[in-house]
Amino acid sequence: MQLDPASRPPSVLSRLRAAACVLLAVGVPAVAAADETSPRYQLDASTLLYREAGRVTVIEPVARITRLFEGGGSLGAEFTLDVMTGASPTGGRPAGGIQTITTPSGNTQTVSAGEVPTNPFRDERGAVDVDWQQPIGTRAGAATGAHFSLETDYQSIGVSEKLSLETMQRLLTLTVGGGYNRDDVFPVGGTPVGLTSNGERTGVDRNAKEVLSVMAGVSRVLTRRWLVGINASRSKESGYLTEPYKVVSVVDPATQEPLTHLSELRPSTRQRTDLLASSVYHLSRDILYLSYRYYWDDWGLRSHTVDLKYRFELGATFLQPHVRAYAQTAADFYTLSLANGAPLPAFASSDQRLAHFNSLTGGLTYGFRLPGHAGELTVRAEYIGQFDRLNLNAPAGEDGEEGEDGGAPVTPDPFSPLSIGTLTLSYSRSF
Amino acid sequence: MKRTAAFAVVLALASCGCAATAVQPWDRDLLAKQQMRFVPLRMEYAVDQHIYFSKEGSIGGHDVGGGGCGCN
Amino acid sequence: MRFRPLSLVIFALSSLALVATQVASADPPPGRAPAFHLATPHGSVTLDSLRGKVVLVDFWASWCVPCERSFPWMGALYDSLAPLGFEVVAINLDKDLVASDAFLARHPTRFTIAFDPDGKTAKAYQVKAMPSSFVIDRSGTIVLAHRGFDPKKATELEALIRKECMR
Repeated sequence: MQLDPASRPPSVLSRLRAAACVLLAVGVPAVAAADETSPRYQLDASTLLYREAGRVTVIEPVARITRLFEGGGSLGAEFTLDVMTGASPTGGRPAGGIQTITTPSGNTQTVSAGEVPTNPFRDERGAVDVDWQQPIGTRAGAATGAHFSLETDYQSIGVSEKLSLETMQRLLTLTVGGGYNRDDVFPVGGTPVGLTSNGERTGVDRNAKEVLSVMAGVSRVLTRRWLVGINASRSKESGYLTEPYKVVSVVDPATQEPLTHLSELRPSTRQRTDLLASSVYHLSRDILYLSYRYYWDDWGLRSHTVDLKYRFELGATFLQPHVRAYAQTAADFYTLSLANGAPLPAFASSDQRLAHFNSLTGGLTYGFRLPGHAGELTVRAEYIGQFDRLNLNAPAGEDGEEGEDGGAPVTPDPFSPLSIGTLTLSYSRSF
Repeated sequence: MKRTAAFAVVLALASCGCAATAVQPWDRDLLAKQQMRFVPLRMEYAVDQHIYFSKEGSIGGHDVGGGGCGCN
Repeated sequence: MRFRPLSLVIFALSSLALVATQVASADPPPGRAPAFHLATPHGSVTLDSLRGKVVLVDFWASWCVPCERSFPWMGALYDSLAPLGFEVVAINLDKDLVASDAFLARHPTRFTIAFDPDGKTAKAYQVKAMPSSFVIDRSGTIVLAHRGFDPKKATELEALIRKECMR
């Protein structure tokens, strides 16, 4: 799902790596087997209300129904709807005076002095996920998943498989998995030729993107209270990986004023790896969740994520504060703008998602059972802030030299820090 | 180098802890709780995955499973 | 996709080694059933006092889902075979008495419930999984050690117990 959809006229490009990743994210948990006394179905429903300050608003209802089988297997189907509205940055730079921009669909738009160019849009995305989990004997299990999603300019189809094995008196669990995604990108108005400003189209309306991923993990019960795990995943993306509606500004080296905009261009392959270490610790009453993830890819992007949750158990209810810290370094070809007259690089993007930034999330979840009712409800409010985006690829000076870390002065990102507020309501019930 | 280090951690995790200190099958009362999993709140986790994939450049964060009551 | 064959081989071999250690550990050979003296809701019970009867010793806990499914089955079996000299001793391993009380309120039983919160008797019987049941013949020897509980496979266990009771 693309929550900050790049400036598109009515539609939105969906970053659907999420597809394969969410499939692989479904573990093979100990599902209660069904019989006369235990539940046969489980219903999970949630709604996300998401708002970026001054930008995008998303509402995302999700409904999931799972059939539980005797013997421990299950079959689940999940339906997701995303409704996105708002305005999102094009990647172009603000100017000292009024700018007139031609959008990818051919409309013209006027941008005031100092204002970040954005495009208003509204789009809907629907997705269906199916997963089937089955124990194999008493010590192993398999989980198979399939995904389909569709929006105005993006389609994603994926499959995944995960196998797990319990060994060492069930204290050690080994998991391996793989996934394959086939996405199609069909931008509104055709596919722009990369790094051109004349609206030239490639002539290919439907661009393919493939993602192949593998993961392996080990989890270990260390003590009666402590479960730890480590896992690694690697994915290879190939095909059309560019955001067709994003642009890079070409500025006058002396005044830094934008003169024109080029459509962005990214490489056609990307190799991504991540390592995740997690811990769940049960104190006398409460539970502490801690995880650290290190990520790197061959676009030069690296990130660290630390996630901490503390669950206060209050009898029939619980309160769970959450803190997440994230730091990312920029992709090699990320640039705030290109200097007029300098030779064109092979790839360039001003997409803030590829920039150097830090992010901090703070949130609180409250869970409770409705009186006289079998289901559980949780309410979560979170705030996500992105800040400290430094432009490490400062625009070239008159002599054509690139600014470098520690060399030419680093220009603070003129875009304002991003603030996101979310509210997530979830309901869960077995019957 | 990173790969070697990662494997060293994995093997250490897998091999440490002999029978004397192993958690017995009847000591899994806390581990049997639904909250004692890497991903205890499934719907919130899926929402987070969507949000961070869309707003950041990274992937990852997978639920490995494990723990649990260890019952047949 | 470029794989690192060596890493995958190491991972695969480690997995196989770990599986091998799991398979190598077998159930304890049937032998004399370890004695126990445990508290019950209304007193205490010892295995020696049950000599001459066929005894099903079952280790359970409130947090174990298959254990919950085994209780109705054990109750029906006890009602059916008690006249032939059959006893059930369901040994509870909960550390939290509130949880075990709640469980017993949901499943009132006519057979004996015993409490082993420290797990000493479970250790003596080398319990490897939850639940675990042991069929002890009239002379005090373990004739079968069974791990887990599956309603579909319970008929084999039942057949063996009936055979013992006929002796």
